[in-house]
Amino acid sequence: MNAPPVDKVLVSILGRALKSITDEMSISMEKTTRSPILCEAKDFVTGLYDAEGRMLEQTENLPILSFSLSPVCRHIAEHFRGEIYPGDVFFHNDVFSFGNQNNDVAAFKPIFHGEKLIAWSATKGHQADIGGAVRGGYNPGATEVWQEALRIPAVKVYERGKLRRDVWDLIFANIRLPIVEEDMRAEIGACTVGERRLLELVERIGLERFETHKQALFEAARKMMTAEIRAIPDGVYQGEAKVYFDGRTPGSVYTIRVTITVDGERIVFDYSETDPQTNGFVNGTYTSSASATVLTFLQMVNPGIPHNDGMVEPLEIIIPEGTILNAAYPAATTFGNHLCPPNADAIIRALAPVIPERVTAGWNPLLCSLTSGLDPEKNDSYVDIFFMGLKGGSGATCECDGYDHIGMIDASGGILDQDYEMFEQSTPHLLLQHELLCDSAGAGKHRGGLGVVSRVRLGGEGTELVTFGDGDVEPAFGLFGGGDGTLNSIELHYPDGKVYKTTSKDIVRTVPAGTLYVQVAGGGGGYGDPHQRPAELVREEVRNEVISLEAAREIYGVVLDEQTLEICEAETRRLRGGE
Amino acid sequence: MALQIGIDVGGTFTDFFLWSADGRIETHKTLSTPSDPSVGVLTGLEAMAEKRGESLGDFVAGIRTIVHGTTVTTNATLTRKGARTGLITTEGVRDALEMRRGIREEQYDNRYRNVVPLIPRFLRRTVPGRLDRRGREITPLDQDAVRAEARWLAAQGVEAVAICLMNAFANPEHENAAEAIVRQELPRAYLSVSSRVLPAIRFYDRLSTTAINAYIGPVLEGYLHSLTTKLAEAGFAGVLLIMQSNGGVARPEITRELPASTLLSGPAAGPRAAVAYTEPHGEKSCILIDMGGTSFEASLVRDGAATLQTEGEIDRLRLGLPMLGISTIGAGGGSIGWIDDGGLLRMGPESAGAAPGPACYGRGGRRPTCTDAILVLGYLDPQRFAGGRMSLDLEQARQAIERCVAKPLGLSVEQAAEGMYRVINANMAHGVREITIKRGLDPREFPLVVAGGAGPLHACAIAEELGIRTLLVPATASILCASGMLLSDLQHDYVRSYVTSFADLDPARLQTLIGELQARGEEELGREGVPASRIEHQPALDLRYVKQYHEVTVSLPREVIDRADLGAIARAFHREHDRLYGYNLEAEGTALELINVRLRSIGRTEKPALPRLAEGGADPEAAARPPRRAFVPRSGGYANVPVYDAALLRAGNVIDGPALIERSDTTVLVGAGFVARVDAHGSYLLSATGAGE
Repeated sequence: MNAPPVDKVLVSILGRALKSITDEMSISMEKTTRSPILCEAKDFVTGLYDAEGRMLEQTENLPILSFSLSPVCRHIAEHFRGEIYPGDVFFHNDVFSFGNQNNDVAAFKPIFHGEKLIAWSATKGHQADIGGAVRGGYNPGATEVWQEALRIPAVKVYERGKLRRDVWDLIFANIRLPIVEEDMRAEIGACTVGERRLLELVERIGLERFETHKQALFEAARKMMTAEIRAIPDGVYQGEAKVYFDGRTPGSVYTIRVTITVDGERIVFDYSETDPQTNGFVNGTYTSSASATVLTFLQMVNPGIPHNDGMVEPLEIIIPEGTILNAAYPAATTFGNHLCPPNADAIIRALAPVIPERVTAGWNPLLCSLTSGLDPEKNDSYVDIFFMGLKGGSGATCECDGYDHIGMIDASGGILDQDYEMFEQSTPHLLLQHELLCDSAGAGKHRGGLGVVSRVRLGGEGTELVTFGDGDVEPAFGLFGGGDGTLNSIELHYPDGKVYKTTSKDIVRTVPAGTLYVQVAGGGGGYGDPHQRPAELVREEVRNEVISLEAAREIYGVVLDEQTLEICEAETRRLRGGE
Repeated sequence: MALQIGIDVGGTFTDFFLWSADGRIETHKTLSTPSDPSVGVLTGLEAMAEKRGESLGDFVAGIRTIVHGTTVTTNATLTRKGARTGLITTEGVRDALEMRRGIREEQYDNRYRNVVPLIPRFLRRTVPGRLDRRGREITPLDQDAVRAEARWLAAQGVEAVAICLMNAFANPEHENAAEAIVRQELPRAYLSVSSRVLPAIRFYDRLSTTAINAYIGPVLEGYLHSLTTKLAEAGFAGVLLIMQSNGGVARPEITRELPASTLLSGPAAGPRAAVAYTEPHGEKSCILIDMGGTSFEASLVRDGAATLQTEGEIDRLRLGLPMLGISTIGAGGGSIGWIDDGGLLRMGPESAGAAPGPACYGRGGRRPTCTDAILVLGYLDPQRFAGGRMSLDLEQARQAIERCVAKPLGLSVEQAAEGMYRVINANMAHGVREITIKRGLDPREFPLVVAGGAGPLHACAIAEELGIRTLLVPATASILCASGMLLSDLQHDYVRSYVTSFADLDPARLQTLIGELQARGEEELGREGVPASRIEHQPALDLRYVKQYHEVTVSLPREVIDRADLGAIARAFHREHDRLYGYNLEAEGTALELINVRLRSIGRTEKPALPRLAEGGADPEAAARPPRRAFVPRSGGYANVPVYDAALLRAGNVIDGPALIERSDTTVLVGAGFVARVDAHGSYLLSATGAGE
C-alpha cells in the first residue's frame, strides 16, 4: 500500500461538500416536478454513488427509499460494464433486478472524469402512474408483476448525450399520465445538477485525493456504526409481527419473523422463519424489505452518522427468496414498501427488552386512499393521494411522547399533507375536517403520537377510489405498560344513506358525487405506566381536548373537576395507588 | 443641525451609526438590554451626546431621522414570550397550525419534538361557515358562533386574536364579518386578519403568518410605545422609521399593522449598506457574509436589491411575507471544535457564547472555539483584543485545543488549529452555496462583502473555497446593518391571489387587482408622508407550468401588465424558470397558470453620502506595527506577517498579503495571494493576484 496520506480535515470537508450536492439535487426535484407525490409529499431520494455503486451521500426525503438506489446502481454498473459512456442516462424500476417498488422509477447518470467513470448521480421518485391494470399503480387484484406495472429493467434513454427517442417513446407510450414524462425529465435534471457539482469538487481537490478521502469517509461512518452495535449486548433476539389481508382472501394472516444476532461489531437480521409469499400483491422485494430493516435500526442509533456505504457495512440482512419479504419472480409486489411497518414492529419487539432506552413503542401503520376522476368545473382529470388523511402517530420513547400526525415509520414525517386550499384547487373535493383525534394515542408515562380524523365531501365525476394499507386489525402496540394506539379505518357514506367500510386493499369503481369520505388514522403506542404521567400534563391535555375526561380518570388515574378542570388530589391519589 | 441615525439592536450589542449633514460619521456600540431594549437605545444616545459634549436633549432635538432595527419580535417568537393569543378559524381545521402539514424535520431522530404552537389548542376555536375554492359561499358564516367564541376568548384573557378562514384569499367577506364581531367583543385585543396579512392561497402558510403576526402584535406595540415615549421625553421631534424584513423601512403606525414584517429587522439592512460600498467600484451585485460570535449569515444582493424569499421560516414556523433570503448557520467565533464518534473533526453548531466564552477569554471555558484557533494561528494580538479592552490567554487556548482536538487526531496544536480554521471555513462556504448555487447562481460572479466582528479573518479563505476573487471589507464592517438602515427606502410588499390558467386570464381583472394594490401602496406611503413624486411601484406575478406545485415570481415592467401582454409575460417566465432550474418548456408549448399578483411600493428617501478618507500614496508604511508570527494558509507554515494599524491607513494605500490590518473592532486577514487597496471611503478592496486555481 502506497496510498497518499489522508488529510483528516479534508475528510470532514469532503463529507460536507457531498451533502451539499445531494441537497441541491433534492431542491431541484422538489421545485420542478408536477405530481403532488413528488413536489408536495417529497416521495423521492437523490444520491451520489461511487463507480462501483457504493453510496457516497444522499438526501432522503423518505427513509424507505434511502437504501434502494445503491443495489440498483451496482447492478447497472455490472450489467453495462464496458458500455457506459459520458452523457448516458439510465432508467430503472424493475423489482426483480433490485428495484423496490414498481412506481419508484430511478434515473442514473454516470459521471466521468476525462475517460474514467468515477461516480454516479441518481434520483428515484414515486411516479404518478406506471402503466399496468390500474391507474396510479395500486392493483389489489394483481397476481403477477405485469398486471401492476410496466417493467423497466435498466435501459439507456440517453447514450453519449443523445436521446434514444424510440426507447423513450416505448416507455411513455405505456404510461397513462403525461406528467410522468415531465417528472422523469426533472429526475434527469437533478442528476445533471449532481454531475456538474461533483465534477467541480473533484476538480478542486484532485481525483486521487477524492478517492482516498472517500474511503476515509466510509471508514468514519463504519466506525460510528460499529460503536453503536458494540453498545448492544451480544445475543440472539427474536421478534415477530403480523401482516393482515393479502388483498385476495379475507381474514388471511401472515407472520414476519426476525432473528437478530448481535456479535461484537456486527449485527445480523435473519428473516428465514418468515412466512412464504402471498399470491396477491402483498409481497416485498429484497430491496424494499432491507431498506425497512435499515431505517428501523437507524432510528435506534446515533442520528448523526453520515449516510454512506460505511454506515450499512456492519449490517447483514438475510431474507430468503420466496418469503413475503422477498417474493420470487414474477410475483406482484406493489404493496412491498408498506410491509415496512410490520417489519419494524418485529425488530422493535426483538430489541425492546435489550435496549429499552433506544426503541419506540409501535407506530401507526399506513392506511391510504387514492381518488381519481374528472373535475367538471375545470374539465380536467385529476389523481390525488390523500396524504393528509394517512398520517397517524408514532410510538412513544422512554423520554418523550410520540410525534402527532407524523405518518408511518417508512416516511417518519417526510411525507407532508397537501395544503388544504391547494387540495381543493386540484381536486373537485371539499375538505370538511382534518383534525387531531382525541384519545387516539396509546396512553403511557409517555403517550403515543395522536392520530387524525378526516372528512371529505367527494365531488366530480367518474370517481374511483383505491385503498391500500393496514392497521385496521391490530393497533400500534404499547411498551412497558403503555397502552395500544387506535385503529385505522376508511368509510364511504353514500348520498343514499348507505355506509361502506372499505377493506385495507380495495377498489371502489364508481363513487357518486356527494359521498362523504371519513378516514381515521390511529395513534401510536404509549410507553410506560400511564399512572406515572404527570397529572398536570394530563390536565393540560384534557383542556386541549386531546385526552377526554373519562380517559384521564379511567386510564391515567387523574380525576378532574368537570367545570374547572382542577385536579381532585385525593381522588387522583386513590386511583393512582397512593403515590 | 440635521442628524440621521441608524440604531441596530442585536442580541449582545446595540450598534449606532450617526451621520451629520456635513458628511461626518460617528459610530458607537453599547450593551443591549434585552428586558427593555429601549433602555439600551437611550443609554447609547446619552453616551453619544456626552462624546459630542452636548446634553441629551440638545443632541436628540437635532436628529431628523432615526431608523431602527429591532429583535423584539424575533426574540418574543423564539422564546415564546408573545401575547396570549386566540384563533378563530373554520370548523374542521382547528389543528393546521400545530400540525405544520405533518412534518418531522429529523426523520431518524425519535426524540425530535414538534414545535410548541404559538396558540395552544384550547385557544384555537372553530366556527361554521364555508367558502369554496373560488370564494363562493357554500355555508354562511355563523355569526352567533363567532360571537360566542369571541366572548369565550375574552373570558380566557387573550390579548390578541388571529382570524383565518378557509379560502379567504379568494373572498374576504367572512373574515371581515368575523373581525367586526371580534372587535366588538374584544375592543382592546390586537387583531390579525389573514385576508389582510397575507391574502394569498395556501392555508397553512397564511394561517401561520397570521398567527405569528397576532402573537407578536402586542409585543411590538408595547415596545414602540416605550421607545417613542422615551424618545419624546428626551426631546426627539424627528421621524422614527422601523426596519422591515423586506429591506425597506416603515413608519411605526404601519409596522403596527404588520408586526410580522419585522422578524428579520436587523439583518435586512445589511445588503443595502453592502451595495453602497460596492457601487463606487462599479458593482451592484454581491454576496454579503456576516460572522459574529455564534452565527454566520449569508445573503445576496442582485442589481442593487437584496434577494427576498416568501417561503421563510422562523423557529420552524412558516412565514409567508417577503423577507431577506438569508442562510444562517451555527458558525461564529464561539463555535466549539469537537471530534465525532467516527473520528472526524467538527465545528459547531454548539457555541461557547459570551459565557463561558472561548477558552482564551479565561472565564472558565474549557472547550476549544474558533477564536482559540485564530489566536493560536497568530491572527489576533492577545494584548489588543476588542481595542485593547480585553486580553486573551494564549496558553488556555492551546491547552483546550491540545486536549479536545490535537490529541484525539494525533496532530500538533498548530495543525489542529489550522484544521479547525479550515473546517469552519468550509461550513461557511456551504452557507454561501445555499443562497447562490441553490438558486442557480455561480458565486464566482459576485464580489464577497464581509461584515461582522469575526468575518474579516475568514473571508479570504471562504472566497478561495468558493473561487471568488474579489472581496470588500466595508469601512463600517462591524456595524454594517446600522449603517445600512440610513440607506433604506420605505417599502411595502402586497400580494393577492388570482388563480387562473393563462388561457382564462382576464386582463381587466389583472389590471384591477394591480390597481387596488397600487392604491393601497399610495395610501400607506401617503400616510408616511412620502410625496407622490417619490413613489414607485414594481409589479410581479407568481407563475408556474400547469400542474406544477411551486411558483416562480417574475418581475415585470409596468407597461407589460398595462398592456396585459401575455406573450411577454410568458417569455419572461420561461427565462426565469430556465435560470432557476436549468430548463424551460417553451418549445413544448406547455400551458402556464397564474397564482398570485404582487406589487412592491417604494417611497424613495434621501440618503446620506459615504464619508471620504484622506488620500495617501500606495505605501502603507506609516501605518505599520511590528510584524507578528502567524500562520499563512496556502504556504502551509508560519511566517512573520506584517501588521497595520487601520486608523493610520490612507486612501490609496496598497497592502500585499499576507498581512493583518487591525481595527479597534475587528482584524482583517489579507490572505497570501491577495492584495488589499484602501478605497476612497476607507473600505478595503481585496483582489486575488494569482491566475486562480
